[in-house]
Amino acid sequence: MDLQWNGQEQIAANKATVWTFINDPAKVASCLPDLLESNVHDAHSFDATVKVGVGPVRGKFKFNITLEPSADGNHMDLKISGGGLGSVVDLLAGADLIANGDMTTLDWKGSASMRGPVATIGGRVLDAQAHRVISTTFENVKNQLGGVTAT
Amino acid sequence: MGQSMKRKEDPRFIRGKGRYLDDIVMPHMLYLALVHSPYPHARIKKIDKTAALAVPGVKAVITGEDLVAAKLGWLPTFHGFDNQMVLAIGKVLYQYQEVAGVVATSREAAADGAELVEVDYEPLDPVVDPFQSKLDKIILRDDREQKTNHIYHWEVGDRSAVDAAISKAEVTIKERILSPRCHPAPLEPCGCVSDMNGATGRLTVYMTSQAPHVHRTAFSLVTGIPEDKIHVISPDVGGGFGNKVPVYPGYVVATVASVILGVPVKWVENRTENLTTTGFARDYHMDVELGATKDGKLTALKVSTTADHGAFDAAADPRKYPAGMFGIVTGSYDFPAAFAEVDAYFTNKAPGGIAYRCSFRVTEAAFAIERAMDILANKLKMDPVELRSRNFIKKEQFPYASPLGFVYDSGDYEMTMRKALKIIGYDELRKEQAEKRKRGELMGIGISTFTEIVGAGPGKHFDILGIKMFDSAEIRIHPTGSGIVRAGTRHQGQGHETTWAQIVAEELGLDPQELLVEEGDTDTAPYGLGTYASRSTPVAGGALALAARKVRDKAKKIAAHLLEAAEDDVEWKDYKFNLKGVPGKTVTMKEVAFAAYTNPPPDTEPGLEATYYYDPPNLTFPYGTYIAVVDVDRDTGFVKVRRFLAVDDCGNIINPMIVEGQIHGGLTEGFAIAFMQEIKYDASGNNLNTNFTEYLVPTALETPHWETDNTVTPSPHHPIGAKGVGESPNVGSPMAFVNAVMDALSPLGVTHVDMPLTREKVWSAIREAKGA
Repeated sequence: MDLQWNGQEQIAANKATVWTFINDPAKVASCLPDLLESNVHDAHSFDATVKVGVGPVRGKFKFNITLEPSADGNHMDLKISGGGLGSVVDLLAGADLIANGDMTTLDWKGSASMRGPVATIGGRVLDAQAHRVISTTFENVKNQLGGVTAT
Repeated sequence: MGQSMKRKEDPRFIRGKGRYLDDIVMPHMLYLALVHSPYPHARIKKIDKTAALAVPGVKAVITGEDLVAAKLGWLPTFHGFDNQMVLAIGKVLYQYQEVAGVVATSREAAADGAELVEVDYEPLDPVVDPFQSKLDKIILRDDREQKTNHIYHWEVGDRSAVDAAISKAEVTIKERILSPRCHPAPLEPCGCVSDMNGATGRLTVYMTSQAPHVHRTAFSLVTGIPEDKIHVISPDVGGGFGNKVPVYPGYVVATVASVILGVPVKWVENRTENLTTTGFARDYHMDVELGATKDGKLTALKVSTTADHGAFDAAADPRKYPAGMFGIVTGSYDFPAAFAEVDAYFTNKAPGGIAYRCSFRVTEAAFAIERAMDILANKLKMDPVELRSRNFIKKEQFPYASPLGFVYDSGDYEMTMRKALKIIGYDELRKEQAEKRKRGELMGIGISTFTEIVGAGPGKHFDILGIKMFDSAEIRIHPTGSGIVRAGTRHQGQGHETTWAQIVAEELGLDPQELLVEEGDTDTAPYGLGTYASRSTPVAGGALALAARKVRDKAKKIAAHLLEAAEDDVEWKDYKFNLKGVPGKTVTMKEVAFAAYTNPPPDTEPGLEATYYYDPPNLTFPYGTYIAVVDVDRDTGFVKVRRFLAVDDCGNIINPMIVEGQIHGGLTEGFAIAFMQEIKYDASGNNLNTNFTEYLVPTALETPHWETDNTVTPSPHHPIGAKGVGESPNVGSPMAFVNAVMDALSPLGVTHVDMPLTREKVWSAIREAKGA
């Protein structure tokens, strides 16, 4: 099952502040919804155990997460792969940072490929659930940096 | 015979006293849970058992490589043309494929351990569409010498004659008709308890089996354990419908675990495992062409089928017929020329292709011809009843040799159809429909005049793993005139404990209540090929009657002895032995039974029993006319089945109540297939119907009221003239529903929609139609 979403956050912080924040694995980990545990491996990767509830598929999923910043400081890719309960999830989230005075626009896109019970048993509610996870992550980035608006 | 005797097995079922597989608990028993692949196609780079083995209670973790070391890595499939991995070795080929087994002291510990088996996969692109598989861009089976996804090509009939006839035909139709992948979904899933007794060296396997003897032989062939050291017991079985014929990995892994650990091991699958890994049915994409004259006389039939067999060629088809009995696709009609071909392909889907309440691809064939007849009638602007009537095989043409090779035993299709039309009030319904159409209402009448082919053998044509498809019966009459009847079949709700007793009672003049019927224990029952493909009554039923006649032959000698007469002067009449010409001088079977043990003739061995192995001379050909009446809501796509009539002809009837019950059950399954059920995969190879919230089973709320009736055209070659009926309603009903819905939508220009006819599909068809 392949899914795609996109969204935008207006963050009340300048681009350099946002860029620093999203390059910090520990801070990015703290923005994941339903986070149970995380371990930073190095400057660009960490693992995270999160609580998952998609339809009747309920339990812990463990993910390996890699940050891939662009050299020009305008774009960040977030690669998330892992799973649990016999399911596998590969998720790619990319965010463009656009300076907007003292504000920063975070324009994001996400796509996911899912296999196993999470895609099949939870199929009917998966799209909305996965969208919620990824949008909440970016919303938490905004909230931690003091942003108040979203579109 | 012919009496609606209440089912002898029901008192224990309705009181909760049935003994099913999961009721079996043994001392020191362990539990097996299987690890399944989330990927439909991937290489296995590594399997790490460490975390699973650390779970308290886990005793063993078994992988495919472990089984290879034990020379049990692969199993032969049903017909023996392919091999199937027991647990994945090197590669997974479908989502939910079994990758490892975890054995533990409780179900919960086994499940916890299974979650912690770490499998490192390298995902590969899946092939989920047989038409993509055909292109061979990705070869799925590395293990085969043939580097192609093509499994086989099978054909029957005269291709050139058919092509010529269709090119000359005044009217032709061509339609791709899908018989979608569905699943029998018995309410009791599959399972086993394997118990290897280290002291005796004997393996006892309690298993949900429709064919216990065949399973015993398969276990022996695969494991090398001598067959006398294997005891298969099939306890009460909660529905099979073909799903419990194959050998599944859980049976093998549980047995290996029992051998290794020296204690009994139980494996019972859950609903998702049943729907995603065990034998599916259908998945035939059929290109159907008909040629006809302008006045509706059929001239030719051509069917080219692409079959999706999934990851292994595990289709439940006999060796000689890789596409089963698809040659019945000419149906009830007298075609001057016909041709059918099937090409089967591997895909990254679960293997199977079992006969879901049908005799090896009969349902697909019957659906194709009955849909095509309606499409042709629509094109000819002819009543589908009239088109059928003009083309039926006539009563006087039987035995009828079809252009595709089968010899039909008997039938009177016109008579049966006319009876159904009269009961349903066909002419009045057509008038009502015309009125409704004037008001823009969508009412449909669908007819199916199907012919089945059931009762495999004969052994000269049909086998499983080389074993001829005969069946067997053993009858022992006790001194007081009661008895025990054993057969090589295994019922799963069909009522054999009653009908078998009735057959024997009819032949011997005994009370069916005093005849105990036993099946399912390979240590006691005579060797048989099992219950599926509507073969129990056509084959084992014949064996029972003929075994009883052997008993009667011996009884006649004893009766003559008791009557102090020559055997030739004794005749069997009115359920007792009579001295010819001497009214009132009679001996009952009970008297004979007592004498068999207390006063046998000097030249006759004591006792009264017989065994018969019956290899039928031909198949039987049950048929029927089914009519559905529906109203379709053009705003919501909801189809209301207002009436459904089934008039069946299964030859002589043993127990009308049981036949009616069989028909009710089969019609409910046919209704589900027509409107609700499909095993679908997305483009990534995810199975989208893994439980009963996504794969719907009708409840009493959705199920229509069924009207039933029958005609009787006995099979001339069957010992009691019976043909079998269990599968007719599943085979014959889906197209009646679909034909009815298409009839309702025909004013809008809709000619065909593939099953299942969900509200969404019907609504979409209405929206997209020109006339909407």
